[in-house]
Amino acid sequence: MIRYIRLYLYFLQFSFSRAMEFRFDFFFRIVMDLVYYGINIGFYLILFSHTTTLGGWNQSQMLVFVAGFLVVDAINMTVFANNLWVLPDFINKGELDYYLLRPVSSLFILSLRDFAANSFVNLIAAFGLLIYALVQYEGTLSVGGVILFILLLVVGAILRYLLRMCFLIPTFWLHAGRGFDMVFFQLNRFIERPHRIFTGVMRVLLTSVLPFSVMASFPASLLIDGFSWTIFAQFIAVTVGFSLFVAWFWKKGIRAYSSASS
Amino acid sequence: MIEVRDLSKTFRVHRKQPGLVNSIKSLFHREWVNNTALDSVSLSIGKGEIVGLVGANGAGKTTLVKILSGIIHPDGGTVRVMGENPWERKNSFRKNIALIMGQKAQRWWDLPAADSFLLLREIYGIPKDEFSKRLNRLTETLDITSKMDIQLRRLSLGERMKMELIAALLHNPQVVFLDEPTIGLDITSQRAIRQFIADYRQEHEPAMILTSHYMEDIETLCKRIIIIREGKIVYDGPLADVVEKHTPGKIITATLSECSLTEGFSIPSELGTIISTDNCRITVQVPRPKLTSATSYVMEHLSISDLSIEEPDISTIIESIMRGHHE
Repeated sequence: MIRYIRLYLYFLQFSFSRAMEFRFDFFFRIVMDLVYYGINIGFYLILFSHTTTLGGWNQSQMLVFVAGFLVVDAINMTVFANNLWVLPDFINKGELDYYLLRPVSSLFILSLRDFAANSFVNLIAAFGLLIYALVQYEGTLSVGGVILFILLLVVGAILRYLLRMCFLIPTFWLHAGRGFDMVFFQLNRFIERPHRIFTGVMRVLLTSVLPFSVMASFPASLLIDGFSWTIFAQFIAVTVGFSLFVAWFWKKGIRAYSSASS
Repeated sequence: MIEVRDLSKTFRVHRKQPGLVNSIKSLFHREWVNNTALDSVSLSIGKGEIVGLVGANGAGKTTLVKILSGIIHPDGGTVRVMGENPWERKNSFRKNIALIMGQKAQRWWDLPAADSFLLLREIYGIPKDEFSKRLNRLTETLDITSKMDIQLRRLSLGERMKMELIAALLHNPQVVFLDEPTIGLDITSQRAIRQFIADYRQEHEPAMILTSHYMEDIETLCKRIIIIREGKIVYDGPLADVVEKHTPGKIITATLSECSLTEGFSIPSELGTIISTDNCRITVQVPRPKLTSATSYVMEHLSISDLSIEEPDISTIIESIMRGHHE
């Protein structure tokens, strides 16, 4: 475990020293992400000019949720996105060879080696927005509740990574470019909506096998609507379930890779 | 160190006729072809031994090396490397092997070599002072100390290969696979890398498998070679014996003082066979034990201005075995 943390520190160090080299990309990313944040906040501001509550949340509560999923998004953009973007290419072109040789988990290196130092500023911006959302919040918040909220958002970000892996690992068999990844990004929009606006089958789907509602909406609900063991237990169960599934699925994928590559 | 028994591997590839229509057809119906990469291969390699693995493109060399290093999963047979199953990819196994592929560079970060080596130190858990000792030794023997702080992509091909070698050997592997380590390099770099491998082997005595298309690599480094053709081992033994086993003998070429004399000349079949005659020159293939008597026979029966006795060229022999002309 300590070895993995130290390895990760190296990844960070390398990514930062490399990011400094490409200034244009650096600023471009910041602008791009800030526009994305603006659009999302603007969307809800417009909605709330027509209504006072949405899925049981008012405007100030909604801002906490919006800031929450933007943090989940920013963590993913910074920690995982660069790695996962090239993964299908790596698989299809047989680039995994050297990673399989190292006495370190291949899933660990391939998911985390490239930290997007360019997006780091956005991570700070997203957390800044989160703090603003919590400060402007009209109700009362407990310190414990806030800490749990932030922790669960981090776990939510990991859950989002795990879910995306489920859409990427089939590349081992299909060798298709990134078809499934596009499906993931279409579905990813559900993370931007509070889970209470969905009903029936949709709600079951979004809180179990496609747990987009679990990632940000559940943590926000635990903070705003008060702690609930059912929601918390479901959050943990889904995360653990997906961790085990991805570990197993990855192993199967590597096995397929090693039977096919020459 | 390496024990392989009845190893086989078949790849299933789908075949498609060219053209758009056939592409659409293949969407619905696929024709699969089995490609045998390895066919009941058995071999055994000991500590400190360096074996040259030779074969034409697609003969199965890389597949074999990748199976031994745990990247590819075989279909049948048993493989033990340092007593372990390579494809279980245990850390204890992976910590003790190295694979260098000349055709496939490692994709690390866009960083100077020195940084990548630090990362490898962490990955393999090499103690700090041991690490700097080994690194100094390797960079000095490869004469590349001054390039350590330059970004990898700015290095020449030869320099990058040297860095690859260092990267692969820092953790002192007991088993080393070198898949075409000198491919695309100029003569000087080839020589430097060859010398380095020889020295390294002397000092550390790992079990090594070397594949190369350059016969010179094999001839200078390997006492034993394995020739592989269409997934089967067709020769496994000392390099020196290849010539004896696979060529009928030596070649005597006699240049005659008077050209017309070749007509009517013949040699008793137990002494050799005439391969070619042109007006002034006659070439005879002679079994090794008969060399002296055959030479004197030729000298007695012909008036000769020049005579040469040659060993058939080793790379020509190996090449013909590789292509299956010698059976």
